Amino acid sequence: MNEALLEEKDVAIERRFEPKAQDIDDEISWAQINVDVLKSLERPRLLYWVIFFGSLAIFMWGVYCEIYQYKNGLGSADLENPQVWGLYIATFIFWIGMSHSGTLLSAILLIMHADWRKPIYRFAEAMTTFSLMTAGLFVLVHLGRVWQFYYVVAYPNERWAWPNFSSPLVWDATAIGSYLTTSVIFLFFGMIPDLAICRDNATGYRKTFYRVLSLGWRGTDRQWANFRVTYLTLACLLIPLAVSVHSIVATDFAVSQQPGWHTTSFPPYFVAGALYSGCAAIITLFIVLRYTFRFEKYMTIPILEKLCKLTFAISMVWTYLNLIEYAAVWYGTDPIAKQALIFRATGTYAWWWWAMNFFASVLPFTLTWKRLRTNIPIMLVVSVLLNFGMWDERFMIVTPTFAHGYYPWTWTNGWWPNWVQLGIVMGSFGWFNMLFMLFCKIFPSVSMYEVKEMVYHRRVARKTLQTLRPSPDP
Amino acid sequence: MSLDNLTSNWSKLRTRRPQPDQYQEAPYKWAMVIDLDACTGCNACTTACYAENNLPVVGKERFLKGQAMHWLRIERYWGEGTEFTQEFPEQGAQFLPMMCQQCEAAPCEIVCPVGATHHTPDGLNSQVYNRCVGSRYCSANCPYKVRYFNWFNYPESAWPSPLELQLNPDVTVRSKGVMEKCTFCVQRLTEAKSKARTEKRTVRDGEVLTACAQACPTSAIHFGNLADSSSEVHRMWKAQQVELSADKQKKDEEREKDEALGKTDEALRGYRVLEDLRTYPSVVYLERIRSSEA
Amino acid sequence: MKKRSHILALFADFEEAAVTIAALREASIPGFKMQDVTLKSPIDHPECSAELGQRPVYIQIFSLLGAICGSGLGFLGISSAQANFLRQARGFFPIVPIPPDMVITYELFILGAVFFTITACLIMWRIYRVETDLYDVQISLDKIGILVEAEPKAIASLREIFTSHHALEISGSV
Repeated sequence: MNEALLEEKDVAIERRFEPKAQDIDDEISWAQINVDVLKSLERPRLLYWVIFFGSLAIFMWGVYCEIYQYKNGLGSADLENPQVWGLYIATFIFWIGMSHSGTLLSAILLIMHADWRKPIYRFAEAMTTFSLMTAGLFVLVHLGRVWQFYYVVAYPNERWAWPNFSSPLVWDATAIGSYLTTSVIFLFFGMIPDLAICRDNATGYRKTFYRVLSLGWRGTDRQWANFRVTYLTLACLLIPLAVSVHSIVATDFAVSQQPGWHTTSFPPYFVAGALYSGCAAIITLFIVLRYTFRFEKYMTIPILEKLCKLTFAISMVWTYLNLIEYAAVWYGTDPIAKQALIFRATGTYAWWWWAMNFFASVLPFTLTWKRLRTNIPIMLVVSVLLNFGMWDERFMIVTPTFAHGYYPWTWTNGWWPNWVQLGIVMGSFGWFNMLFMLFCKIFPSVSMYEVKEMVYHRRVARKTLQTLRPSPDP
Repeated sequence: MSLDNLTSNWSKLRTRRPQPDQYQEAPYKWAMVIDLDACTGCNACTTACYAENNLPVVGKERFLKGQAMHWLRIERYWGEGTEFTQEFPEQGAQFLPMMCQQCEAAPCEIVCPVGATHHTPDGLNSQVYNRCVGSRYCSANCPYKVRYFNWFNYPESAWPSPLELQLNPDVTVRSKGVMEKCTFCVQRLTEAKSKARTEKRTVRDGEVLTACAQACPTSAIHFGNLADSSSEVHRMWKAQQVELSADKQKKDEEREKDEALGKTDEALRGYRVLEDLRTYPSVVYLERIRSSEA
Repeated sequence: MKKRSHILALFADFEEAAVTIAALREASIPGFKMQDVTLKSPIDHPECSAELGQRPVYIQIFSLLGAICGSGLGFLGISSAQANFLRQARGFFPIVPIPPDMVITYELFILGAVFFTITACLIMWRIYRVETDLYDVQISLDKIGILVEAEPKAIASLREIFTSHHALEISGSV
């Protein structure tokens, strides 16, 4: 009987060391990892410059639209009473939402010990930082008197005029400011050992650049021990911060009485939507980076599968919260909110509403088929469409409530954004693209030391497995 | 603005708003009564408001786009209630002058990020133009949508010379990017209050009128001091049994009771718009008296 | 101030390094303490570092301190500002409204913890103290290094221990 128990325990231990699909190939040497990733930092090819200057051109178009709007007033964006917010707030929320991807991957999966995050979290974290910077642009674009934006900040002044802390927009400013600061710190901190690798392999002015940034990292045991604890602490602090940021953005709407907004489920609904669009964006960038930098050994298909499964799970959470919101309104006591829901489904924006529901709730089911989710071109298209669905969702939250509010005299049926608004939205995508491409060429987009850890642990596991299960003599 | 002020006024600062007898000891609480039966929809009040408050005329194209700047708008509704009279289509137009309701629990005040909108001690909702950064959250939150944003820089185009000579010097001209709304002609109120203070008295009833109340040919708009128990507005509110701090008025309660009993008594006519949202507006509308035909 | 020399030995993997450290500890050569032995590696390896002895990490105390300071600043700063600058002028609202103040207190609580944590980490790394330039770029590549700071008389015996434990490269001042 003791032997039987021993066998069970052995089996359990053995299973722990068995290689899983998403594990890295342990034949890769550490030196090879350095070489592969540092190769991505070399002088870029022509295609890079084409795409970069294309993004710059789109951004410049966005800047032109903004200058036009700044000079002439917000009326040139076809905003009106009651459609006072337009695409700017919708896209602002979209960009904040996209920023939750990095936190999910870096921080949440870190404390869950999901090793498959290791090759991909660096660019996800970068995506977080740049999404937040892009969202910050929209705050400025949206204000009527941009040059006085600093009134929202609590700075000491002789008039004792401080911002109104009861306003959700001030909570937004605080939360997003904290989140941006913490994300940048988190990204930079996690990169320090990699920057040391860059420093050791660079020459000239780049060596000085990396030497300054790597803060004297030498890989000593003291540095590693403190690093590990700090990184984990930052991750634990970043997770509640990320959850609170998008909840606070949701309270912009939830504390208002307007029909279609006054729902307590908005904070978790927005957070779920944020994680969703962030995951979809990670899939897109995963495919792009994998192809561009030939990272097939590190960003493997099983990891893509894991990402797809995660995205599907989050999409179902979002779908549930979405349907709950409809159910609460439908079976609730507020007739105006119900009318607002019917307007969304049948009014001016009906096509967009049904498209949102299709892209965000039905399309994720393609992620359940292994043949589809391992097919790279299909996943590229699907992830972009999922993100489009989520942008549409934000548009659907903002615009129909203005079009069909409490006061019938103010109902407008034909409002659509004009070229100025669309230009600025496109410009934001160009801006994000530019920043991300710059990041990929200056900083390593795969975390070298974490991948080395993956390889090392796989090797140790393989050796342990061999001792537990010695192979029969040939 | 100090700890002394905080401690000595603790009870006043600490209470929720509105309270039933909130303005009992206050010298002023400005309120309005608008008689919808007397309103003919002539738009004299709107024109007077444009003149008094330096409102820019935006032109037909922008008006159709919804970028009008009318602080006081005459809303025209066709048909009695929900039925549209086919037999006499030109009859049955109802007019409702709608302006900022100066809500006691204004949804706009709490959401301005920079604190550009507040409630004054005499019961008005104030808009501070030079603090406004134009986030338009107040307009998003307003259930009546009576807040108007300066979508363009009107001072440079709305009053070509010599039209700028007709601007009211007591009222600022707003640049692009600020939110504005009806202020119950606060410039007139301030002038009247200061004159009264010099003479060591409070403003008498009828001494100060808003531009719209002054211009209305049928005297549909009544404006006055609700805190003054001898004022016309106070008496009308009392006659209609409308309370500032209630979210459902006697008229609707009575109506429900009467309908349940099968009666159609229409003695009480006073109501406030969208008051079940608990904004506690300061404008009472007197329901139009309907005949049994058209 | 006794003259201190440094010696750096590179090893191919963690097992050899761990064995070497154990040998250093048992050899008890006069002129250096285990405290002055540093392990340099491209990845973190807690078990090997544990061979060096107990080196506690105090970061989380600073995190806690930062959280308290941040939330304190948030609550006292914001709520008192609100009470004095806004509410007194307007009145008829709670002096310290819980939802807005809690939101901002929470954000600043996390921000305070983050700032204090990284400051503590940077201090604990002792980047301000550059003991020696002795560093090999192969440490960031794939080798494990052991750096010992000792008196010159101990260097020779240290060198012997390193060579007998398959050190790939040894560099340092004598």
